[in-house]
Amino acid sequence: MRVIARLDIKGPSLIKTIRTEGLRIMGDPRVFAERYYEGGADELIYMDIVASLYQRNLDFEQLRNVSENVFVPITAGGGIRSVGDIEAALRAGADKVAINTFAIHHPEFLTEAVERFGAQCIVLSVEAKKTSDRKWEAYTDGGREKTGVDALEWITRGVRLGVGEILLTSVDRDGTKTGYDLELIRAVANTTAVPVIAHGGAGSAEDLLAAAHVGADAVSASSIYHYNLTSLPQVKEFLRAQGTAIRI
Amino acid sequence: MGTTPTGMYGLPTDVKFCKKCVISNQAPTSAVEFTHTAKTLKNTLPFNEEGICDPCRAAAAKRDAIDWGKREDELKALCDKHRSSDGSYDCLVPGSGGKDSFMAAHLLKYKYGMHPLTCTWAPAIYTPWGLRNLQRWIHAGFDNYLATPNGRTHRLLARLSLENIFHPFQPFIIGQKGLAPKIAQRFNIPLVFYGESEAEYASPIADGSSAQRDWKYFTTHDESEIHLGGVSLKELKEKYGVERGELAMYLPTDPEQVKEAGIEVHYLGYYHKWHPQGAYYYAVEHGGFEASPERTPGTYSKYISIDDKIDDLHYWTTFIKFGFGRATYDASQEIRNGEITREEGVALVKRFDGEFPERFIDELLGYLSITEKEFPKAFKEFEHPAMDREYFMQLADKFRAPHLWKKEDGEWKLRHHVY
Amino acid sequence: MKKDPTIVIIDSGVGNLWSVLKAVRRFAPTAFITEEKEGVEAADAIILPGVGTFKAGMDGLVVRGLVEPIRAAAERGVPILGICLGAQLLLERGYEFGEHEGLGLISGEVVPFPELPSGVKVPAIGWQEVVPTDLQSAMLFAGIAKPFFYFVHSYVLAPSVPGTALAGTTYGGYAYCATVGQGNVYGTQFHPEKSGEAGLQLIQNFIRSI
Repeated sequence: MRVIARLDIKGPSLIKTIRTEGLRIMGDPRVFAERYYEGGADELIYMDIVASLYQRNLDFEQLRNVSENVFVPITAGGGIRSVGDIEAALRAGADKVAINTFAIHHPEFLTEAVERFGAQCIVLSVEAKKTSDRKWEAYTDGGREKTGVDALEWITRGVRLGVGEILLTSVDRDGTKTGYDLELIRAVANTTAVPVIAHGGAGSAEDLLAAAHVGADAVSASSIYHYNLTSLPQVKEFLRAQGTAIRI
Repeated sequence: MGTTPTGMYGLPTDVKFCKKCVISNQAPTSAVEFTHTAKTLKNTLPFNEEGICDPCRAAAAKRDAIDWGKREDELKALCDKHRSSDGSYDCLVPGSGGKDSFMAAHLLKYKYGMHPLTCTWAPAIYTPWGLRNLQRWIHAGFDNYLATPNGRTHRLLARLSLENIFHPFQPFIIGQKGLAPKIAQRFNIPLVFYGESEAEYASPIADGSSAQRDWKYFTTHDESEIHLGGVSLKELKEKYGVERGELAMYLPTDPEQVKEAGIEVHYLGYYHKWHPQGAYYYAVEHGGFEASPERTPGTYSKYISIDDKIDDLHYWTTFIKFGFGRATYDASQEIRNGEITREEGVALVKRFDGEFPERFIDELLGYLSITEKEFPKAFKEFEHPAMDREYFMQLADKFRAPHLWKKEDGEWKLRHHVY
Repeated sequence: MKKDPTIVIIDSGVGNLWSVLKAVRRFAPTAFITEEKEGVEAADAIILPGVGTFKAGMDGLVVRGLVEPIRAAAERGVPILGICLGAQLLLERGYEFGEHEGLGLISGEVVPFPELPSGVKVPAIGWQEVVPTDLQSAMLFAGIAKPFFYFVHSYVLAPSVPGTALAGTTYGGYAYCATVGQGNVYGTQFHPEKSGEAGLQLIQNFIRSI
């Protein structure tokens, strides 16, 4: 199982939201990226969380800079709207790109992207907000915009359109450190043929284990690492000791 | 306004946008709401010769020119003076349990050792998350009095406000501003604390440089100047069947009584560098505050002013009257606090300002409709007692200042925007 | 190792070039990206990255006129390292979205994963332990104490000549080839430029061997 650290970016800064709101600055993304790489992160996620909201692109130069001394896979997202954007991201150091907002409005873009770059390169990013018992709605624009689209149905459709992976974020749990939305992860992981990365709510290593137990293929977190509540080596050692297959 | 040419509402006809934030010179400053009628001329936000608005100048001063250590000492002295020795209420924090009032009460209690009572003027229509946040505030350790006016009276006043001054939020503002002195009097609490200073976003610099707030906003000597919903007390009784006694929750306090009781109103924002987003994080981390699940119509934010459904209309009516909406307010505030750049603010205003509030509109139109059964006397006064979309939009058109709006191909367009 | 060798990284329009370039440049600062046959002809060593489908990868080489120059370089004894799709292209043919001819520098084919146990997903994405099988592999894997590498693929290398499978790995209980090598031509299914210190060591080993 992969243990992933996620960096949310606004402009030149690493930031951390709570329930996808707020712009609290945590520091220099490059410093954090290198710290997480050296700490044993299996992958990094680099997400410009205001690009779609401000209707602009992520800063590719900055991505190149941040990724300079990082030698594990990087998934980059934020305002990806065209084949050109994907190319720019890959040339700037991304290995995979995550797409949310544009894809919901133009699902055929996913197929176009997959055909051009391959399924393993295209990650469908889904911001899921719980609406009622076992129902979640997909949000866009950094967890702000309702779409009326059922998240589980959208994920199924995305897989049919060819994406290679799902990045599943709980809007409700993001930044709260109260644990993942395990119901959500379970509902998606069990019915999805491609790997699912869980994100949103991790408060401890135990939370990561719980997510693994309900079927997450990879566990992603931000707050616990940014706020130094635990470290990647500690988390990985814990998971390994609990019997999870982990790269040490 | 001196010799500046003015248009509708007394607004300056020369429309300008602040060079630092995105607000326009059409923005009304805090008004004495209970004297507000259809004929009232607005005081608008002052801009200096460099084209910078007062709140931006205040923000710069906040950043650079204020000795916050000294201010905190003043606060500590104030608290020491009033702190009760037996745990009884020594200060009052009015608020909704939103991020600002949450943080204000929490700091006063847990950092400065005070014993606050909290009080809340009920929203016209609670959002589910707004009500939950009120509960969380209470469960963070505070007594609270929730003042809810007679639902029918409130609806009638909201409707009248909408018809006469296109300001359905007015009854809320009146009640809310008036509540604190009344509660403070009743419980003998000498100290009232608000969170942010209005100088941050609505009032001229002068209002912010002292901690206290002018009593004129919620007291009066002269009842004949009182108008609710743009209607005098006399007319409210004669035409609409609302007795003076039924308006107790709205009528401003007698300033003599307030003076006698020695009640002081302070802004915590004067003593403590107020950072709205900081208050959001504080409220989440100390009380589990919940942002709105989706962005509010007309803006991008999920953490500012989220407890009343009628807010949606309030900001849209502002857009009609003054040519800018909620995104402008939110972005301006965030620019001043360094969260976003002006360029980012402009992009947000372009995208969201003036968005029609679809999400609750049907419920709100129902709220503002006058039925014969509920309002037998008032019903006769309305040409169009039921409020529907068509009538609402027609009404809106009456309040579009000509120097701000023009009609192009049958569609209304703003003459000026910040983008 | 040849002093200051000219190492080129081929840009065939499909690939995470910056990642490969920065990893290679740690050990060979003059390495550069090329999509021209002149670049291939002048190379002392060639790295062929690739991300995407077999057909897209070959088309990218064909359209740039690089197929023959690469074959010629292999013939001349120029060391070649293919990565992921690049490794797959070294073989004779691939079966992704139809049958397509590869570079044919290593005997064998590229085939899909067989049916895996329920719950095991394709593409295979993640870190897997790699076990060198052959003395010949010692060069590439020298000094790597923890041979975990990053894989992301839906198709696997199936070399046909004994001794050309240099290292193996397993996914979902299925054992398959992680690294191929025939003469001076090598290919890793995994991404050494994405495999942390282990991957960097492998790249360094390759460069040292030039």
